[in-house]
Amino acid sequence: ACDDGEIVIKFSHVTNTDRHPKGIAATMLMERVNTEMDGTACMEVFPNSTLYNDDQVLEAMLQGDVQMAAPSLSKFEQFTKQFRIFDLPFMFKNIAAVDEFQNSETGQAMKASMTRRGLLGLEFWHNGMKQMSAKKPLISPADAKGMKFRVQNSDVLKAQMAAMGASPQPMAFSEVYGALQTGVVDGQENTWSNIYGQKFFEVQDGITETNHGIIDYMVVTSVDWWESLDADVRDQLATILNEVTTERNAVVGEVDDQARQAIVDAGSTIRELDEEQRQVWVDAMKPVWEEFVEDVGQENIDAAQAINAKH
Amino acid sequence: MSARYEPQTMLGRLVHEIEETVIALLLGAMTIITFINVVLRYVFNTGLIWGLEAVTFLFAWLVLFGISYAVKITANLGVDAVINLFSPPVRRMLALTAGAVCIVYAGLLMKGAWDYWANFANLPQTTGRWFPTGLQEMRMTNYRGWYEVVDIPLPEWLRWIEPLMNEGEEYEKIPRFIPYFILPFGIALLLFRFVQATWRIWTGQAQTLIVSHEAEEAIDEVAHMNRGD
Amino acid sequence: MEVAILFIMVIGLMLIGVPIAVSLGLSSILFLLVLSDTSLASIAQTLFQAMAGHYTLLAIPFFVLASTFMSTGGVARRIIRFSIAIVGHFPGGLAIAGVFACMMFAALSGSSPATVVAIGSIVIAGMRQVGYSKDFAAGVIANAGTLGILIPPSIVMVVYASATDVSVGRMFLAGVIPGLMAGTMLMLTIYGIAKVRNLPKGEWQGWGEVLESGFDAGWGLFLIVIILGGIYGGIFTPTEAAAVAAVYAFFIASFVYRDMGPLHRTDGQRNLTLLQKPIALVTAFFHRDTKNTLFEAGKLTVTLMFIIANALILKHVLTDEQIPQQIASAMLDAGFNWWVFLIIVNVILLIGGQFMEPSGLIVIVAPLVFPIAIELGIDPIHLGIIMVVNMEIGMITPPVGLNLFVTSGVAGMPMMRVVRASLPFLAVLFVFLILVTYIPAISTWLPTTFMGPEIIIN
Ligand code: NA
Ligand code: NA
Repeated sequence: ACDDGEIVIKFSHVTNTDRHPKGIAATMLMERVNTEMDGTACMEVFPNSTLYNDDQVLEAMLQGDVQMAAPSLSKFEQFTKQFRIFDLPFMFKNIAAVDEFQNSETGQAMKASMTRRGLLGLEFWHNGMKQMSAKKPLISPADAKGMKFRVQNSDVLKAQMAAMGASPQPMAFSEVYGALQTGVVDGQENTWSNIYGQKFFEVQDGITETNHGIIDYMVVTSVDWWESLDADVRDQLATILNEVTTERNAVVGEVDDQARQAIVDAGSTIRELDEEQRQVWVDAMKPVWEEFVEDVGQENIDAAQAINAKH
Repeated sequence: MSARYEPQTMLGRLVHEIEETVIALLLGAMTIITFINVVLRYVFNTGLIWGLEAVTFLFAWLVLFGISYAVKITANLGVDAVINLFSPPVRRMLALTAGAVCIVYAGLLMKGAWDYWANFANLPQTTGRWFPTGLQEMRMTNYRGWYEVVDIPLPEWLRWIEPLMNEGEEYEKIPRFIPYFILPFGIALLLFRFVQATWRIWTGQAQTLIVSHEAEEAIDEVAHMNRGD
Repeated sequence: MEVAILFIMVIGLMLIGVPIAVSLGLSSILFLLVLSDTSLASIAQTLFQAMAGHYTLLAIPFFVLASTFMSTGGVARRIIRFSIAIVGHFPGGLAIAGVFACMMFAALSGSSPATVVAIGSIVIAGMRQVGYSKDFAAGVIANAGTLGILIPPSIVMVVYASATDVSVGRMFLAGVIPGLMAGTMLMLTIYGIAKVRNLPKGEWQGWGEVLESGFDAGWGLFLIVIILGGIYGGIFTPTEAAAVAAVYAFFIASFVYRDMGPLHRTDGQRNLTLLQKPIALVTAFFHRDTKNTLFEAGKLTVTLMFIIANALILKHVLTDEQIPQQIASAMLDAGFNWWVFLIIVNVILLIGGQFMEPSGLIVIVAPLVFPIAIELGIDPIHLGIIMVVNMEIGMITPPVGLNLFVTSGVAGMPMMRVVRASLPFLAVLFVFLILVTYIPAISTWLPTTFMGPEIIIN
């Protein structure tokens, strides 16, 4: 517990503390803040949605009841539609391209784009590239036709599933395993570490390595709270957060590889796509870009594509 | 055992009928929407994307609207084993204390419900930690009329709220102040009903705020079957 | 220390006659305002999100509704006739049939008091007619009625699943074997008593009656197939299953059994058929009986959810003050092993069950003990079933026991007499609790076989 006189920083997130990339990073941040800023500030981490889920936490933050959180990037669509760029399929080639985009001028500007709504982005945290899985082999998007796919609550992702001819089904994350197992839904999309952590591979025919999208997080705080801090406290906190971010983002590829390997070891099938097969997916999903170009901004798409070309 | 609530006046009967109908309609709508979504998904491979979120909001409406009604008909569960040990005058004092406790509860919740809802409706919260001491000075970040729900699209006939609540910008989904409105509304009714119930105890028209058990009425209906030894 | 004050305040308020929901809510609010920086607005948010943010809890209104249609729609009567046809001819036959009927109704209903009201009101009268003592009849039904929350579907299981993020489908499967086992133990006990005391037995009415009554009750019992088949057959999620069950129960009650709705006729006339009055297909939706059933179920949902929502406020306070972690580390530092821990859990729940409605109690206790249980390697599903069995026992032990109260009302006898009458069967349930606590396979075998080993996601 915190001592009297310390600034209490509540960090609420929705994953476990020791296996999920976000949970590990949050725990590391807490440990560093509590040793290096002892006497000044004190961080309490609330994992597993015990305090708030990703949707409630942003309301609570604006209200001043929680100071930090790291929701998935799709949650920020409501604040600025620009964030839809991170949900657009095949926008980024790999996590290195994502990283470079987020650190570019465009990406950095996005962190500050919500200040008029009361939120300030501090850092981006990676989870990884998304893969597709279903009860039947998925080689081309046409294979998904007529199937029911669980998606996160995001208009872009719903449009993406529709572009594949699949029926998007919003569903609570905790229900997904059971729904895939019994067949209430047929497929889903997720990162390697989520597919492994939630054991989705057990109840799917196999995983197709599409790398079609990303799941990333943004550490946010409320503008009011952030500005109420003394400049030196704020700087020290920002520095620690930045160092933790650099350290964790650098190893996220390893975490991904381990999860992927663990799925292979468990006897699940992983289907890789060759250039030609992948292009079929890219073409099928291009209409989704056009649907959301106005929200995202053509110049942002161009910036992302310029970075992509380098990777 | 408390007698079944009977409204006394014409207005009372009308309000009573409205309350019961709203509760029935909300539960009916929740059931039908969920059922239709199952059929759409299983038979037609499609679904109402907004169905799930709409049902969760209707659920919140059902409960937050219904709690004041439950107070009115004395349907809230409680423990009466101890109060029954006391003499009627002591019991009356305890019931009045319990009434005061409920009024404090609803009063604090009222402030919380207003504060939570107000910014979503571009209105000022109250200041003060325990009691409202004034109104918040609105800054740009306090105007949250733009904040939309996740799935439910804004129906066309509601477009007229855009200039009022969203600086003329278009809403894709319904703004949050609409579903959340049940909070200040439902809690205000709850506060009113607790004051009323306490007044009834004060004037001797009622003895208690609680029913001991959820099935009390159902029992009343069947108990005659097993009377006698 | 502060936690002790919090819980004392909750219990103190309850004892002076403050509604349970308000006792939980107000104590939590005062606690937060004094000890933390959290705002009153966050309490309002928690209250709203209790319904809007807990997808699993949505199953509660639907199961309550299905159960209400089943009770008013004449299902209980048909189930009892079927039970008597099957087991009525054994020694103690009508009592055994009462337990059997409770088991079947439990498979349709998510709550224990509902089971007692539906079955008890008919069976207790029937047992007395053929020569059982009223006490024996009441004791049997009060106990068998508790199966309502152990045999799926179960509102208490839904609440546990929601509080701990385990799968509702898994919890339901886990309840099947313990439910059948507890029912069988009760029936065997009655059989033993009947042999010793030479209790009346009915006559075997032949296979014809078994088939005919079975077919008649079959419309209602088919709901079991819909709920479990639908969930495990991939047609719907457990929450949706509850809604489908409610719609099905409405159709059966209005168009097949016709004990309510536009086709029902009072004063002994034959009910109408749909052919005679096809417009009923439309009017049934707006019929007074339908509205009243919806309203009754809505009212029960409101009172139940008001308690659960305030228990969630209390849970929010406990989380905010990081109390589960403190208790967990204190218990783990004390070096408890899993079986000592389970004794503690049993004792906490048995005491808590004296004051609290089961669902609210689960909301508060589950987050406190769940992390420790996981740390000690206890299967979360197993823990859930232990909790449910404890809730069952809490319902038939004084001073506060929902089933005791309901039975005393239904049987028209004083509560303490029901308590004495329940004792022999209560002893059976205690033995059962010990078995369930220390033989995890009773709870985990079925879900593991059908759904693979439990994954702990958090
Ligand atoms: Na049941
Ligand atoms: Na009890």
